[in-house]
Amino acid sequence: MNAPIVIEMEGVAVVSPRNPELPLLEPVDWRVEEGECWVVAGLHGSGKTSLLHTAAGLQTVPRGQLRVFGEPVPLAAGEALTQLRRRVGVVFEGEGRLFPTLTVLENVVLPLRYHLDMSLAAAAAEVAPLMAEFHLDRLASFFPGRIGQVWTRRVALARALALRPTLLLLDNQMEGLDPTHLRWWRDFLGALHRGHAWLHGQPQTLVITTDDLRPLLNVGDHFALSAGHQWRIIGDRAEVLASTQRDVRELLGESE
Amino acid sequence: MSAVRQFRLVIAAVRGLTAFTLITFGTLYTKVGRSQQVIRPLVHDQVYRAGVKLLPIVCFLGLALGMVLVGQIVSMLQQVGAEKFTGQLLVTVVIRELAPLVAGLVVLARVGTASVIELGTARALGEIEALEALGIDPIHYLVVPRVIGFTVAVSGLTVYFLLLALASGYAFAFVRGLPLSLEEYFNHIAAALTLADFPLLAIKTALFGAMTGLVICYQGLAQPLRLEDIGGATTRTVAMCVVGCLCLDALFVPIYLLV
Repeated sequence: MNAPIVIEMEGVAVVSPRNPELPLLEPVDWRVEEGECWVVAGLHGSGKTSLLHTAAGLQTVPRGQLRVFGEPVPLAAGEALTQLRRRVGVVFEGEGRLFPTLTVLENVVLPLRYHLDMSLAAAAAEVAPLMAEFHLDRLASFFPGRIGQVWTRRVALARALALRPTLLLLDNQMEGLDPTHLRWWRDFLGALHRGHAWLHGQPQTLVITTDDLRPLLNVGDHFALSAGHQWRIIGDRAEVLASTQRDVRELLGESE
Repeated sequence: MSAVRQFRLVIAAVRGLTAFTLITFGTLYTKVGRSQQVIRPLVHDQVYRAGVKLLPIVCFLGLALGMVLVGQIVSMLQQVGAEKFTGQLLVTVVIRELAPLVAGLVVLARVGTASVIELGTARALGEIEALEALGIDPIHYLVVPRVIGFTVAVSGLTVYFLLLALASGYAFAFVRGLPLSLEEYFNHIAAALTLADFPLLAIKTALFGAMTGLVICYQGLAQPLRLEDIGGATTRTVAMCVVGCLCLDALFVPIYLLV
């Protein structure tokens, strides 16, 4: 029996957020099933971020059909869109777009407090295991501007996981990490994918974008490429390593 | 820029602001009582920031303008033997017109401009998308607390301003040795006040505060901004709020003439 489909795109045009007339990727035909881990590779400006934002319902789809959890993404703000977004965690590129006026702990618990109307103490107790595993407990009272970027990325990941989403979208979080932090991310994402205690052992559906395939070869089980306005599904890890396509070799760090 | 183009821009801004106002009040109505653990402290922060923290400057302005304006009005009326108009003049100038306008402009200058920069920066840096991605309604989280906070703040500051202005005005007149007792002074004002003045003042100050909050949030949030656009949005906010306050003020003139 097939697993439920989480993301389904048919002929979707992924456009630039600043210029909706400018397609970055078209057409995108893609199906993500529950429990899969997809790695979407591409160079800067290839449309990876816009693809994630489209899948998260943050950008409109001018052409094609997008269904998330089997339902079309609602066009207007409302309860249906809120419920959809509660099931999708997004970790934005760079420093993760944390809220600078909130402390690390307040950032992480904000979605819990907003949606479940929890007090700060109750929400802090709820996320305590996550904060400890992310080594953020000692930084809880700091503002994001006072901690390094490697830690703000973890805060952004913790915030995205706070509501225990079904689908987690990560935008190029491995870029520029030192080997220690890179190992932590690989191990944690691997654990999430296999079924982490935070998600009650349920395997997490993941979509990870990257501009370097090497750190994620052992994390992803499906790989795709966005390059030259084209969307291409490469296959599994073995197919990535066996690929002779120039774009793929480049993203594996091989120069001509 | 041609006059026609300028006019079209003004119409577009008014339409945009009207739509934004309707969305905000819709959100306020549909989400009343929701996420109180998050929203209530935000409202509290805005009341503190736009109200309590501005109390010293408003008190100073009340005292200073009271001496300059009220004191002089009272003295001049005494000199020309028109002291029976003291109450009517003070109610019209200080209570109905000056106090709401000063409170509204102080909130705009001290907190409003800073809020546009905050919201514009949040918009330019993608924090609004981050809120949306978490399923948090930016209107509920960012706009509603500001509109409520500014409404309460302008209303409260108006009361402090007018009480201090009237008191310091009398003090000024007393120091100048005018033959006017405190009882007579306040009797003149009480006689000139009508019962309708109280709800009208409450409505007027609430409208000034709500409009200031809405214009600030509209300019900071409702359109895509880059960091370099924030300065322009701030100056547009000041112009829009001043014009808006004066237009609202003008709407109250026929009402005051009727009561």
